[in-house]
Amino acid sequence: MASIAGSSALSFARPVKAINTNSLAFSPVRKGNTFLHLQPVPMRSVSCAAKKDTVDKVCEIVKKQLALPDHTEVCGESKFSELGADSLDTVEIVMGLEEHFDISVEESSAQTIATVEDAADLIDKLVAGKA
Amino acid sequence: MTEEESGVRRWLVDISSWRPSPDQFDAAAALLPPHERPAIARFVKEDDRKRALVSRLLQYSLVHHLLRISFHQINIRRTAEGKPYLQNNCSDFPNFNFSTSHQGDYVGIVSEPLCLVGLDIVSVSEPQGETAAEFVSNFSSYLTDHEWNCIVGAGTPRDVLTEFYRYWCLKEAFVKAVGAGVGFGFRRLEFHHEGWTNICICIDGEVSKKWRFWLFKLDETHLASIAKGDPEDAINTFKKTLSSVTIAEKQLSSALDSPEEAFTLQTVEELTQSQE
Repeated sequence: MASIAGSSALSFARPVKAINTNSLAFSPVRKGNTFLHLQPVPMRSVSCAAKKDTVDKVCEIVKKQLALPDHTEVCGESKFSELGADSLDTVEIVMGLEEHFDISVEESSAQTIATVEDAADLIDKLVAGKA
Repeated sequence: MTEEESGVRRWLVDISSWRPSPDQFDAAAALLPPHERPAIARFVKEDDRKRALVSRLLQYSLVHHLLRISFHQINIRRTAEGKPYLQNNCSDFPNFNFSTSHQGDYVGIVSEPLCLVGLDIVSVSEPQGETAAEFVSNFSSYLTDHEWNCIVGAGTPRDVLTEFYRYWCLKEAFVKAVGAGVGFGFRRLEFHHEGWTNICICIDGEVSKKWRFWLFKLDETHLASIAKGDPEDAINTFKKTLSSVTIAEKQLSSALDSPEEAFTLQTVEELTQSQE
């Protein structure tokens, strides 16, 4: 990418994201189940289950970003697109998660997040990496 | 049809006036092959389900209309990145491809016989709980420095927002045309234009002569962008579905320079009736 040199010449403060050296390119496990689970307890995958607290927090942030009513069933298996997120929403959700958990998500990782569980797994790894 | 069929279509549906009862919704969904229905049902919001249904109706109607195949015989599949394509394309259109988009009140579809084509519709809406400048800065890493400067220097907050959405919309149209998913680096793409005409793209710093772009204002809040270009730029998973990836330069130029048509408005009733 030919980015223009001399960014100090910009007259507007342009937010620059610090690259977190602990961030991982995360490949989400594609679960075979195609149905949207309506149970309040998130399904756990066999290994590397995201912490329930993390999943709950992601659900909360996603609901807020997408302006979903409180009673909307959102759980680990919920896909962002099915909740009504377009590409812009997904970027903002990831930013909301970065702010809340004080982490930095690589663009390549951000773009592989499809479900709440994907996001929660990534957050747990990044937070653990910082400890 | 007296003229030779070109395979080029630009269709748009305004869904704001379509308020189906659950039965009417189900009847429309029943026109589609069974595998499409769970995908529609999984959308949580009713408006998203409506858009998902109309989007698919547009795809099947378009193929039916152009290729004279009935809905249940049409085999539309998706690549790993989610790009829909017509499987077993036996038509006269070697690279028949299409792109749908939906946002707000509009669902649209575009098709081309030879060049890749991509569509994106955006709604220029005021962000909730943040200023235009704050909203736009969320996406700064998806924009090049040049584009960023154009956006922040556009004028009023509304101007800044609109300018941002124009760049975003164009990037999306390109990415969708080449069949890439959200993993494509938006920052690799830079758009240049003259008053939003003669729009051209630089990919990884190089000007590409093999792509054309158009921006349309659908109404006071909705914009649409169309990208049209060289099949060689399709990503591998999508490229495999095309028959004529390498096109002679003259043929490609002629296809690229053919005048861009305006959208034709369709109604949902027209789409569902086309099956009768």
